[in-house]
Amino acid sequence: MAGVFISALAAGCASLFPQTSELGKSGLPPGLPERVELAHTPFFPQEEYQCGPAALATALVSAGAQTTPEALVPQVYVPERKGSFQVEMLAAARRHGMVSYALAPKFEDLLREIAAGTPVIVLQNLGILWAGWHYAVAIGYDYSRGTLVLRSGTQEREVMPFGTHELVWMRSGYWAMVAMPPDRIPVTAEEKSWLNALAAFERVGNARAARTAYEKTLERWPENVNARIGLANVHHGLGDLAKAEAVLREAAERDPDSVVVLNNLAQTISDQGRHAEALPFIERAAAAGGPFAGAVQKTRATILERLGQKRIE
Amino acid sequence: MKSVWARTLCRLLMVLMVWSPMQLANAGMIGTDQAASVATQADRETLFQFLGRSDVTRQLQSLGIDPATVKDRVAAMTDQEVQSLADKIHSMPAGGDSTGAILLLLVVGVVVWWIWFRR
Repeated sequence: MAGVFISALAAGCASLFPQTSELGKSGLPPGLPERVELAHTPFFPQEEYQCGPAALATALVSAGAQTTPEALVPQVYVPERKGSFQVEMLAAARRHGMVSYALAPKFEDLLREIAAGTPVIVLQNLGILWAGWHYAVAIGYDYSRGTLVLRSGTQEREVMPFGTHELVWMRSGYWAMVAMPPDRIPVTAEEKSWLNALAAFERVGNARAARTAYEKTLERWPENVNARIGLANVHHGLGDLAKAEAVLREAAERDPDSVVVLNNLAQTISDQGRHAEALPFIERAAAAGGPFAGAVQKTRATILERLGQKRIE
Repeated sequence: MKSVWARTLCRLLMVLMVWSPMQLANAGMIGTDQAASVATQADRETLFQFLGRSDVTRQLQSLGIDPATVKDRVAAMTDQEVQSLADKIHSMPAGGDSTGAILLLLVVGVVVWWIWFRR
């Protein structure tokens, strides 16, 4: 009786967890092991309402950072909301030298990251009549049993069926993030999103770490112009102007129409005292116009001014 | 009969699940973040973003965050993140709970297992 009832329910409810149904029908995604568990992932049982700091500490420490949930409370916890915002989870990871990356909203990507050895922070909503937003860290799965393993709240090893997880996870728009050391790129990273994540990391983090991250990114996507711009900016910021120039010259060869590349190349050449040599590049950038026209005009004015002073001297 | 029951239960589950709100996610050198974003009006945006930052700082302080730490918190965000927080700080989810609907999870769990093994 109960069986009949449940089977009817099951048949009607598959649409409640579309990605789980898909995973079940299409079989184990290619290249993934049947079962994974990142058993060495640390466990920090959460204090009341503080699953954000606990989940973040779990991900950061397993990526090699040294921190604790207590140290993260003043970085992510919002007292009046008794919780932590996603934006701050991403932002705080950068402060600990990690590149934070929000995954695409796909169950398969979640499994792929775990299989690659990266614990994944997920945002679930466990509430019924009121919101019960909760961060947990997915650290393993067993495909044949259809279960996910999580560090969650006060449970060191929570085993949750895929579909149950999907139900509570889909309510956050399948939000998931990873914290990566600068020399590693998530296996599921999409080029453009990853570059945005790196630009965010660069503006907060340590320049040397950002340099490593851009170099690794260029190994994976050698054509990416923004990664070259980033690498050159980091070299420039570290005072290594010759290296910045070399990177930008290569970028200008690959992408001769990039206004940003031309502007930054002109600036870098001029910063080395070769103003006349910089001029043709900034003129090309100015002729192209576009959204950076204001910045280009400023650079051009600076170079012309420096050139004028040099002549007077 | 069976199917009527099933449908009703499914609807009930769906209503329960969607009850709470869904979350809808160097001088002269042009910065990498600017180059990466598809800003069409870069200069005008910079002004908005500046306003966004002080705005978000104030909002976070009003939510009980220590003024001594709030500046560093906001500084770690990108312009886009600041913007999203400024726009939606009151509707954004803040993960904090760990006690959920145990019964619901159990019921759903049983159903899910059934589907997984019958596929």
